[in-house]
Amino acid sequence: MIPLSWYLLVAAALFCIGLYGLFVRRNAVAILMSVELLLNAVNINLIAFWRYNAPDRSVGLAWAVFVLTVAAAEAAVGLALIISVYRNRDSVVAEELDLLKN
Amino acid sequence: MDFLQDNLLNLVIFFPLLAALIVFLLPEDEKELIRRMALGLSLAPLGLVLIMWFTYDRYDAGIQFAVFAEWFPAIGSNYHMGIDGISLSMFLLTTLLTPLAILASFTIQEKVRMYMSLFLVMEMAMLGLFASLDLMIFFIFWEFGLVPMYFLIKIWGGKDRDYASFKFFVYTMAGSLGLLLSIQVMGIATGTFDIPTLMQTWVNLPAGGTLEGTGLPVDLVKTVAFWAYMIAFAIKVPIWPFHTWLPDAHTEAPTAGSMILAGVLLKLGAYGFIRLVIPLFPQQAHLTAGILATLGMLSIILGGYAAFGQWDFKRLVAYSSINHMGFVVLGIAVMAYVYGLPGSSTALTNDAIMATNGAVFQMFNHGLSAAAMFFLVGVIYDRAHTRDLKRFGGIWTIMPVFGTILIFTSMASLGLPGLNGFVSEFMVVRGTWGIFTVQLALSMLGLLMTGAYILKAIGETLHGPVKAEWRGLPDMTLREHLVIWPLMALMLSLGIWPQWVLVFINDTVTKLFG
Amino acid sequence: MTEQILQIMAWLVPAGPLLTFFLIMLFTKHNRTLSWMLAWAAIISSLVMGWLLAFNVFGQGYHYLEEQPIVVASAIDWLPFGDYAQGLWVRMGMAVDPLTAVMLIMVPFATTMIFIYSVGYHNYGQPRGTHVGEPNHGNEDPLIARFFALMSLFGGAMLLMVLADNLLLLFIGWEIMGFCSYSLIGFWYAREYPDPKEMPIPRIPPRKAAVKAFMTTRVADVLMLLGIVFFYRAFGTLSFSEAFSFEALQTATTVVGFGGLGIMTLLIFAGTVGKSAQWPLHVWLPDAMEGPTPVSAIIHAAAMVSAGVYLIVRIFPLIAVTIEGNPTVGVVIAIIGAFTAIMSATIAVAQNDVKGVLAYSTISQLGFMVAAIGIGAYVAAAFHLITHAFFKALLFLASGSVIHGMEHGALHVHDHHTDPQDMRHMGGLRQKMPRTFWTFLIGGMALSGLPFITAGFWSKDEIFADAWYQWVHDGKGLALLVFIMLAAAALLTAFYTMRQISLTFLGKPRSALAAHAHESNNYMTLPLIGLAVFAVAAGWFGIPDNFLGVEWGKINLFHHYVGATIYAVMADLYAAKLVAHKIFTLPFSWIPLLTSLTVALGGLFLGWWVYGRNPLQQGQPDPLKAPLGPVHTFLERKWYWDELYQKVFIGPTVYLSEKIVYEFVDRGLIDGLLHLIARVFYTIGYYMRRFEEVVISDGVDWIKDQFFVMAREFRQLQTGKIQEYTLVSMLFAVALAALVLLINYGWFARLLSSF
Repeated sequence: MIPLSWYLLVAAALFCIGLYGLFVRRNAVAILMSVELLLNAVNINLIAFWRYNAPDRSVGLAWAVFVLTVAAAEAAVGLALIISVYRNRDSVVAEELDLLKN
Repeated sequence: MDFLQDNLLNLVIFFPLLAALIVFLLPEDEKELIRRMALGLSLAPLGLVLIMWFTYDRYDAGIQFAVFAEWFPAIGSNYHMGIDGISLSMFLLTTLLTPLAILASFTIQEKVRMYMSLFLVMEMAMLGLFASLDLMIFFIFWEFGLVPMYFLIKIWGGKDRDYASFKFFVYTMAGSLGLLLSIQVMGIATGTFDIPTLMQTWVNLPAGGTLEGTGLPVDLVKTVAFWAYMIAFAIKVPIWPFHTWLPDAHTEAPTAGSMILAGVLLKLGAYGFIRLVIPLFPQQAHLTAGILATLGMLSIILGGYAAFGQWDFKRLVAYSSINHMGFVVLGIAVMAYVYGLPGSSTALTNDAIMATNGAVFQMFNHGLSAAAMFFLVGVIYDRAHTRDLKRFGGIWTIMPVFGTILIFTSMASLGLPGLNGFVSEFMVVRGTWGIFTVQLALSMLGLLMTGAYILKAIGETLHGPVKAEWRGLPDMTLREHLVIWPLMALMLSLGIWPQWVLVFINDTVTKLFG
Repeated sequence: MTEQILQIMAWLVPAGPLLTFFLIMLFTKHNRTLSWMLAWAAIISSLVMGWLLAFNVFGQGYHYLEEQPIVVASAIDWLPFGDYAQGLWVRMGMAVDPLTAVMLIMVPFATTMIFIYSVGYHNYGQPRGTHVGEPNHGNEDPLIARFFALMSLFGGAMLLMVLADNLLLLFIGWEIMGFCSYSLIGFWYAREYPDPKEMPIPRIPPRKAAVKAFMTTRVADVLMLLGIVFFYRAFGTLSFSEAFSFEALQTATTVVGFGGLGIMTLLIFAGTVGKSAQWPLHVWLPDAMEGPTPVSAIIHAAAMVSAGVYLIVRIFPLIAVTIEGNPTVGVVIAIIGAFTAIMSATIAVAQNDVKGVLAYSTISQLGFMVAAIGIGAYVAAAFHLITHAFFKALLFLASGSVIHGMEHGALHVHDHHTDPQDMRHMGGLRQKMPRTFWTFLIGGMALSGLPFITAGFWSKDEIFADAWYQWVHDGKGLALLVFIMLAAAALLTAFYTMRQISLTFLGKPRSALAAHAHESNNYMTLPLIGLAVFAVAAGWFGIPDNFLGVEWGKINLFHHYVGATIYAVMADLYAAKLVAHKIFTLPFSWIPLLTSLTVALGGLFLGWWVYGRNPLQQGQPDPLKAPLGPVHTFLERKWYWDELYQKVFIGPTVYLSEKIVYEFVDRGLIDGLLHLIARVFYTIGYYMRRFEEVVISDGVDWIKDQFFVMAREFRQLQTGKIQEYTLVSMLFAVALAALVLLINYGWFARLLSSF
């Protein structure tokens, strides 16, 4: 088998790309996509550890499914929010959405 | 009837409180109703005291009608009340003067309801104090009596009422501070506040030892406590030089307020000496008896001179109270000297019995005559709206009945034999002669001045040609007669036949020294 | 008369008039007739009962009385004192012994005469006067009922004092009389006078005279009170019979000592000095003449002022023992009496007010009695007391009649400025007012001591006899001095009496008032006659047993009966050498008799020579004024005692009272101290409040403000931008992870240990 660390590296790379995207992208939808990347990177991490350390136990698998579910739900809610905000504010640029300032 | 017999003392003390409540619940604008209700209700304690008077056992002459109920067993304070001959006479005085004072107050027009309620509450406080046999209860009633008087002066008083009421209240309370501390010390040291018990346990504390729990020497504590008691009561009597609150308070108080203030409240201080100071601190009292006699002498002399120097009728009568209470103080000084005397001597004991009888009787007599004098000053003030003796003159021609009554009452105040003042003064003089001869001899100067200021008051008011501004002043009304005649009848009857009050006092005093 | 009836009468004698006072004041004040009738009824019943009691006593015979002086006695327990069983309670009551009996004859009689006189004096029956509290010349006094009430009170008090069996009850009667004196001197309380400097005879208004009387006697009374209390403590009783028993007195001389007894006696004697107007407390009596004349007659001549003498007569056993063991006391008493006698006699010579002369005459005669007691002449003093009461009351009533006549004249000629009491305006009244003249003459002669036919002669003579005897027989210089001084006083007495009679009655009227005077009504003149009888006859009860050297038998009834009062105790004391003399009959001597005759007749002659021979004309000055010059002014101004007292005692007292005791001490020092203490507390309170405001309040506020500043800074973190929030949380997460890793893998510890 290939070493665990390769999987972890891939997951870390994905995580960093996602993080970068989170901070840098202007479009709120793009930020959401970056969050998806973050979550999926975590998933890869989870599955890798599961496959390599305790494959007989279903804990890791269950956990990963959880994360997946949450990601999906969160994406749905997030998109719904963006649509609502776009309808009110006519913009999806994250920088301009600062109603909660102070 | 049984209920009455068993609870007589409690009824007498607390009925005025109930009366005050009833009066307080009446509507404010029903002034006549309030006045009559207050008067009627105030007669009930008098009736009850008369029952006490006739059921008192003279052979026993000790504490009777006693009541005991547990109150604060943790600190040793209980509701212990009782009456002996001395307190009984004070009870009679209080319950007699209150209805008369209320009747005298019928001319008050503002806040009648509050006025009457305050009077009745004050009556309760005074009665409660005279019956107290527990130091905490005594102190509670002592303080209780201050507050209504303060308000009476403050709200219904004369021009300088704010100053006078404040001075009266704070001065008396300042004295009470030491009193409270001393009471606490006694309670802690002996574990009880019960006066009859303390007369044994506190007095018999080993002299050289230390007070448990405090580590202080007994002698020091007793001396300090004694002086605290002495100052507190000296302010109340009042004894020179603690007397200056009295002229202001008496002058600014409403007529009936002055009647009760001079008639009863001053006696609380003297009573405190007789009931507490001397029995609880016999040695200290014996040692300071000379000082007390000297201060009594100064009260007589300086009170007399100051009264003679007055041109305000009411202030003159106020100073006359200091002058008369000085005799009470002389008698108390003799009592202090003999009660704490290490040995025993028949001659001195007889002196002390005579002097103490005289002092207590003087308390009773002065209560009557001072109340009467203040009332009469009020009568003329209601009509002339001034008390300035310089402006008065020739009133006898305009108000002949008032004039004659004023002369009669003044003679009682002056100590004319045949009237009550003389008897008590004679007794005090007789008792003091053998012990404080010098102070007594000098006090005669004060007695001389008594004549001077009384005659000044009568002369400036009644004698001389009629002054135009007083023409047409109406003579005394029926209500005013109803107030003064009982007092005059008592002054005369006690002057001719003092026995009927004096036997009660004498029996108790004889037992005290026996 | 059974014992019990006598006892009841003894109580009723004073009780009647006392009760009448209350009855009149309470019930009959508005009915004048009923009021004076009640007063008359009361005093007459006291007169009857008093005389019955007296005669019952005398009826026992003096031998019996010498053993048993107290004939009627009744007492009650009055003042509670200690255990009843110990018998200490003060007992008070009535006792009738010969001294009381003779007083019971004089007092009610004189009082009755005066009550009768007063009805006329106050013009009863005339139209009612309108000046309330002032004299209503010619009209009925509107306050006449009050007058009789007070007079009844007085009479009751005097009788109470006379019947009292103990010192306290005596003092009670004494003081009540003092009150009556005050009230009656000030009876015309509204009367006002112009400036004294503008008056020919300077006067003070009645109300001021009343205060003067009361206060002067009060000085004496407070000292007497001390004496009474000393007496009570020393003897253990106030009762005369118990204290003046031989055993009690003998014990007192050792237990109390003569020094103590001396103080006791002098203190009680002080009461007499005040009440009987002796020097130095004599100043009130002349001004007491401002009262209506009946008052002057009874209170200030017959009864109250003689009460002072009665007192020292009553306590004579004590005095006798004291002056024997402590002669200074005797000197004090005797010299005060003698000096007063002669001093006031000199003043009387220069007085122009008809009542003024009589006032000073009274003071003088009382001095005689006091001096007599001072040298131990018990019976002589008592005798002169009785006779003097009769003729002095007579003289005063007669002078009141004179004044009434003058006032009538004043009304007639509408002159309200001339003083009707000024003798310089009188004259010729002998023709206008004959009854008054003759009775006045009898009284005047009695006062001067006209031999044999007037009472004053016998009583004065006895004093001289006693003094002379003590000088000759005992060699007492004090007695000689008293003799000489009293003789001189007696000479002056006769002189000024003749002067007074001449000025008032002889010659021609010197003013329109006198010219239009007429005799007074019967109410006033009949009592004069009644008293005149006694002024003549009362002396005959005291004619010495051995008068003129002849043994007439026991004719000196007064001596034997009144002397019996203390006969037994004095005999015992004499036997124990505690007193100089017992009660005994003096051997006759010509010297005192001749002296009496000389001074009496000589004085009358001199008075007639100067004033009566050529009676004064209108406007003519007093013949003594020129020769005596400033001395006369000194006498006329009464030796300036009033001015001295005003300057030394009264003025300073007023100043002391108003300015020093009240303003300086009470308001300045004591209240000043209190106000200072109050200010200190106020200041403390002020600074505590400032502390609270600045330190606590403001401090807390500052902390609150700092929080707000901090919050404002932190709020800047809230930019509202999601990406910035995420950045911050990421950084925090990394930092936290690093910290956890550092701690867990010991890198933190290794980092720390490298320091």
